[in-house]
Amino acid sequence: MAKPENTGVVAPERRKLVSGPLGKGDKWFFRSTSIAANFAFVLVGLILVFLFTSAWPALQSQGLGFVFGSKWSVEDGSKAVMQLGPMLWGSIQIAIIGIALATPMAVAAAYLIVYLLPQRIAKIATAMIDLLAALPSVVIGLWGILVFTPVAVHWATIANQAFGWFPLFAVKDPTAVLSDSPFIAGWIVAVMIVPIITSVTREIFTQLDDALVNGALALGGSRFSVLRRVILPTAAPGILGGILLGMGRAIGETVAILYVLQLDFHINWYQILEPRGGAVASWILARFGEANKTEFQGLMAAGLVLFIVTLLVNILANVIVNRSKAAR
Amino acid sequence: MIERPVIQPWSAKIVAIRTQIIISALVPAALLGLVVLLTSIDFSLALIAIFLPAQLLCAGFVGFKNFNKRGVKDAALLVLVYFFSAMVFVLLMSVLFSVIAKGFGAISPHFLYENNKYVSSTTTLEYGGVGHAILGTLLIVALTTIVAVPLGIAMAVYLTQSQAKHLGLVRTVTQALSGLPSVVSGLFILSLMPVLGLERSGLTGALALFPLMLPTVARVAEESLKLVPADLRLAALALGAPNYRAFFQVILPAAKSGIITALLLGLARVVGETAPLILTTNANNGTNLNPFAGGIASLPTFVYSFLGSGYATSQQRAWGGALVLLLLVGVLFASARIFGRTKSLKTKSKGKKK
Repeated sequence: MAKPENTGVVAPERRKLVSGPLGKGDKWFFRSTSIAANFAFVLVGLILVFLFTSAWPALQSQGLGFVFGSKWSVEDGSKAVMQLGPMLWGSIQIAIIGIALATPMAVAAAYLIVYLLPQRIAKIATAMIDLLAALPSVVIGLWGILVFTPVAVHWATIANQAFGWFPLFAVKDPTAVLSDSPFIAGWIVAVMIVPIITSVTREIFTQLDDALVNGALALGGSRFSVLRRVILPTAAPGILGGILLGMGRAIGETVAILYVLQLDFHINWYQILEPRGGAVASWILARFGEANKTEFQGLMAAGLVLFIVTLLVNILANVIVNRSKAAR
Repeated sequence: MIERPVIQPWSAKIVAIRTQIIISALVPAALLGLVVLLTSIDFSLALIAIFLPAQLLCAGFVGFKNFNKRGVKDAALLVLVYFFSAMVFVLLMSVLFSVIAKGFGAISPHFLYENNKYVSSTTTLEYGGVGHAILGTLLIVALTTIVAVPLGIAMAVYLTQSQAKHLGLVRTVTQALSGLPSVVSGLFILSLMPVLGLERSGLTGALALFPLMLPTVARVAEESLKLVPADLRLAALALGAPNYRAFFQVILPAAKSGIITALLLGLARVVGETAPLILTTNANNGTNLNPFAGGIASLPTFVYSFLGSGYATSQQRAWGGALVLLLLVGVLFASARIFGRTKSLKTKSKGKKK
């Protein structure tokens, strides 16, 4: 083999790449969008920091009792006692009642839309559910106090007469008007979270593999057995996520509950027909107008607690929903 | 060609089952009507205690007769699904119908443009209106929109176009933000106000609505950007366009209707928010066109304050305000659906061309 001759041609020096993978314009484009996207973190951080700094004096003076105690008296400035227990429990209680009422309705509506209605009517029904989600809470509150409460009081009286022996439906004074109770607030909240659970469930149902359902039917499954053994097991995590989303909304609901519930600091553990209950968000709004400086800090602390609880519930819900969507 | 038999042996059975189903649906309804008319039993009690069991029984019987045991379960499932869905329908219709029926009595032309300057809670409906509140709501929401929509779209762009590692986290936090309780948003701005040196005005109201609108816009815009075929962007890049040009000249026009839907749904989300506005704006009975100073009225706070005062006429005013608010939401919502529909048609036809 002959050695390559030296021809005397000098290879040119390697050139520097002039254009990078991203031009200047692109750099600015991605930089600004990334700032915008990371603004989500900034916003959460800002909310936490600012609420915390305004709430700190109250948290410091009240300690753990702020969350677990049940007394709220602020007339005496220096010895103010602010303990949010009943309101916190009330929020959770109303959310539970709301979910218990809304879940059957929402899952039924989603099943109806996806599997039973002809496509055209299903589209209209979907639009109606979305419209229900868009109703402002003040409108629902107005309806709740002036239209729904009289009806619900009637239901409450019947339930009390029929099942009064059961602690859940017992009241101290059966002759009183059973309005302003957690039961009614739960119904109002249910009206608001039905569309949330329905739209999540509907989406999960539509994304379900058709072959799975058709296969089950071909193997001789009936509607019920297909729902029970195929649809529900695959869709259950998604439905749970939808329920948690609804729960986040229910805990944060403010105006509508303020109209239909009597806020009271004697904790009401389970007597849902009794006309007293609690809701953190509504309490903030109710006290805000006449709050002095100390109480204002207490309300900020209440807002902080509310924010942390709803943020955790919502993150959990979204993680569950996204995971169950990705699984498909 | 093979002659197919015209006889369908199953058709007779189907007709028979259909008739039975119709009868089994009519009997309990008739029973309910009879019982309510003849005895003084409460309607909702009768619905649960008589109609539902009767309906379950009838449907179960038809199911059992035709499909044996498994038919019973199917029948029960169908009855319950229809029953609960009907409940949702009735609730929605009750809200819509009562707002429209009661609000209509309060609405007149002057109700739409007059303000409430000399109106007390007992003034008759011949005076005063929601004009100032409509203007206030529009001003506040417009201020929010100017900031929230570009930012929300930029977020959506980042979520769809970039390949950063923490995209999932960004998405989760954005989604979690959309569950932010409105009252917390108001409190946040309240605690921010002394730092920024702001007074309660339309601007603070707009700031309080901003964290509520942003996630909605970002989410819907992301969905609509996802619908744009990736080929379009890649083709633009292959032709030598930088990313930002590909976005502004190709992707954005393709996703235009979806972006408008995002804007409209974001508007519908915040236009009815009450609690943040009560916390961060001062009420005003007159018209205030300056969102940077002074009290400013808005539709939700209008409804809230008139309902709070408890007189019959002020309740009527509240219904009227609620109807105007509902119409506003309805218009936003309907136009969002119209824009959304043209979008889906376009993507479909694109798919066919391929």
